[in-house]
Amino acid sequence: MELSNIEKLLEKYFEGETTISEEKELKVYFTGETVPSHLERYKDLFQYFSNESTITATKDLKIKASRTPKYKWIGVAASIALIAGIFLTRTVDSTEPVDTFEDPEIALQETKKILNMVSQYMNEGKQNLVYLQEFENTKKKFIK
Amino acid sequence: MKERAFITLTNGFKDKLFRLAKRLLVSNEEAEDATQEVLLKLWKNKSKMAEYKNVEAFAVTMTKNYCYDKLKAKETGNLKIVHSNYQDERPSLQRQVEAKDSLDWVGKIMNDLPKQQRMIIQLRDIEQYDNAEIAEMLEINETAVRVALSRGRKKIREELLKKHNYGVV
Repeated sequence: MELSNIEKLLEKYFEGETTISEEKELKVYFTGETVPSHLERYKDLFQYFSNESTITATKDLKIKASRTPKYKWIGVAASIALIAGIFLTRTVDSTEPVDTFEDPEIALQETKKILNMVSQYMNEGKQNLVYLQEFENTKKKFIK
Repeated sequence: MKERAFITLTNGFKDKLFRLAKRLLVSNEEAEDATQEVLLKLWKNKSKMAEYKNVEAFAVTMTKNYCYDKLKAKETGNLKIVHSNYQDERPSLQRQVEAKDSLDWVGKIMNDLPKQQRMIIQLRDIEQYDNAEIAEMLEINETAVRVALSRGRKKIREELLKKHNYGVV
């Protein structure tokens, strides 16, 4: 390409008015061998640009994100299984009470007997608590 | 979308994301991390991928935002000197060292530019996206892209001229 043309392009380039294809021309020109001495300093610039465009990332992308969800669901499944297990075994254990007497009359009497026994013991135990009334009396002296 | 399909799709622009992240974060390792993070995020949202008009542009925007966050965190975290540019107190010495590789010097000039100009030059001169695409990626308007591009390029030219005139070798 003609030198005057290149100079014009350069001027446009620094004004930011060149098109991509014009910039490509400049790049080709300046990465070539023959560049007049007064334009030599731009050689580095375009050389640098074309070198930079060849740098590549060395690490490969590792998608670790895809692994975690799998384990997350395993955890959820395990906890559901655990809770379900607890409830299921409980219901199996608590069986319905079985009738021990054939005749309801006898059953009633037996029940009454047991309830009587319980209340009897309760009353016996309560007798020992009579002295608690003393506390109440003393308290009343101070707090009215 | 299957893993393999996703990887094939992203391999098309993965390096571009990496280079952009490297341009902003400077460090290779951080740029690798940024690329991974962005792609993983994209993978997690793969169900929404069909809604995006341009996955590549979207990924570039994500990378930009991610790097901005990183840079902000670094500034507030008092880690400013890590991988950023050291203050240039003795230019002549530094220039001498850097002039050994004049291409590195261009890189250094470029990395001294403001973030936005740096990104725009990266996307335009290195990745060869057009201004409309860049405007979409960076969420700014096209005129702003052109202005920043021109400013950035002129700044680079100015610095190159300086170096040339000092004749450091």
